[in-house]
Amino acid sequence: MSAQTAATATPAAHSEQPLLEVRDFQVELITDAGIVRAVDAVSFSIHRGETVTIIGESGSGKSTTAMGILRLLPEDLAVLSGTVLIDGVDVTADPKAIDKVRGRTLALIPQDPMTALSPVHSIGNQLSEAIRIAGAASKDPGAVRARAIRLLEQVHIPTPDAQLKKYPHQLSGGMLQRVLIAIALASEPQLLVADEPTSALDVTVQAGILDLLLELQEQRGIGILMITHDLGVARLISDRIHVMKDGAFVESGEVQQIVDNPATEYTRKLLAAVPVLGAWDETPADGTALTTTGASHD
Amino acid sequence: MTKYILKRLGQGLLTVFLTVSTVFILVRLAPGDPAVAYAGPLATTEELAKVREQFGLDLPLIQQYWIFLQQLFTGDLGTSYSFQAPAIQVVLERMPYTLTLATASILLTAVVAIPLGVWMSRRPDTKKEFGVNVLTIAGQSMPDFWTGIMLLTFFAVLIPIFPASGFATWSALVLPTVTIAILQIALISRMVRREMTTNFAAPYLTVARSRGVRNSLLTWRYAMGNSAIPVFTALGTRFAAMLNGVVVVEVVFAWPGVGSLIVRALETRDYPLIVATVLITALLAVGVQLIIDLAYPLLDPRIRLGKAATA
Repeated sequence: MSAQTAATATPAAHSEQPLLEVRDFQVELITDAGIVRAVDAVSFSIHRGETVTIIGESGSGKSTTAMGILRLLPEDLAVLSGTVLIDGVDVTADPKAIDKVRGRTLALIPQDPMTALSPVHSIGNQLSEAIRIAGAASKDPGAVRARAIRLLEQVHIPTPDAQLKKYPHQLSGGMLQRVLIAIALASEPQLLVADEPTSALDVTVQAGILDLLLELQEQRGIGILMITHDLGVARLISDRIHVMKDGAFVESGEVQQIVDNPATEYTRKLLAAVPVLGAWDETPADGTALTTTGASHD
Repeated sequence: MTKYILKRLGQGLLTVFLTVSTVFILVRLAPGDPAVAYAGPLATTEELAKVREQFGLDLPLIQQYWIFLQQLFTGDLGTSYSFQAPAIQVVLERMPYTLTLATASILLTAVVAIPLGVWMSRRPDTKKEFGVNVLTIAGQSMPDFWTGIMLLTFFAVLIPIFPASGFATWSALVLPTVTIAILQIALISRMVRREMTTNFAAPYLTVARSRGVRNSLLTWRYAMGNSAIPVFTALGTRFAAMLNGVVVVEVVFAWPGVGSLIVRALETRDYPLIVATVLITALLAVGVQLIIDLAYPLLDPRIRLGKAATA
């Protein structure tokens, strides 16, 4: 309970209210096997310009946390409790309240860009729709188109006007993720929830997407909630990290603190699981030695 | 594209040719004698022989087939025994009635089944949806001759608001159309429900929801836009099947279409008429199927634009 008080006390030190404030958030999923508590009383907050990462292995509840905050879990299968304030709007108390922040304050960068756009609608079509929902530009088709091109330029997509009439299957995963980021930016969001935004992409493309997110954060001061299982990603972009296991945070803190002095065995295992390129070792039995070396290099 | 159309057209014509040839031979192998049906049971052997000679049925099967092939090329399938008119012409005169009935039925099916399926998909596993589901299963289980007779009994006999048979007024279209549509609505609405449920669970729908897209747009633009192909295919295939004559319903309602015509042609062993009916309906069915195939690219950009190289 004291940790709880500390968590709520920290934002008070900031002059502004946090973009995202999560208190005692709990998600219970109704499954055939009974009720499963997928997220168990987690609390954290994100301020403008901050990146907070929830890291954990598959099934730890990190994506469920993000989807629960966005209220994207099936209403009849997921029971939410606790408090989630998005830019001051309590989205847990009133199910309708989420409509006020979706497509405005809040945007989602999804896990797999290849399946995140409707395959039968063009890029321009889906981007224009997001622009119209945001209501920022005028409804004039020319203005919407101009804004769509500008958004694609901002996410560094080459020849943006040629991309507008393309369909998702004609673009690569990396390009699609850029399009999805452009769609997310259409509403000038203050908070981005990125649910493993690079895990479905080639390693060479991952870095480009992360660079883009950091660049946008720098330009616009948006807050990012990053969900990942990849410690490399977490280290690169996070201000704070929450390590999640079995639906609860087992450890929270600044990036350097978590990496240098992991407090729990679970975090140490996560750190040790990062593969590191080293000298090629001919003896296969030395696999453990390789990871140990990797961890000490970190 | 032109090459594709020509290829499909060639395939279609081959299908029609094989179908017609099979029917030509099968009706002649089946029991029953057109001469007896034509001349009556009291006809003498000489009279029957004369009729057979007149119809060319005294020739060997292979020779009859050769004559048939020549006729097929000129588009003249001979004279119907019972109508004493060119068989093709008899069929073509009946075709508009079947076309009208099939078009009305498929429109009614689409207009009811699509919203019904969407309605069901929006409230899956609720009591209301269960109730409608029971109704659709009932609709699917009722044989159409029984549905037709029940509708006739209620709405043409007990409460005489619709004519019982024929096609003298447009109101006569109502009962046969409803009879056909009940089964089709049951099938199509459940299919729409299944497709929509799948698409409601698709990642792109969740992502669209996350950016504040309204529920009505999520339903009609996203889920329906992605369900369109299978639903359109199902409707088109059912329409093509109806053009082959909705035999039972046409007979129950004495509808003057090709369905009731083929029954009569079979009863009288009217070989030219049977073959002509099969030829015309097979051509129409192949034509409709081709139109469905050609419409795919319009509905799905993945087919229209092909798979681009992804990196």
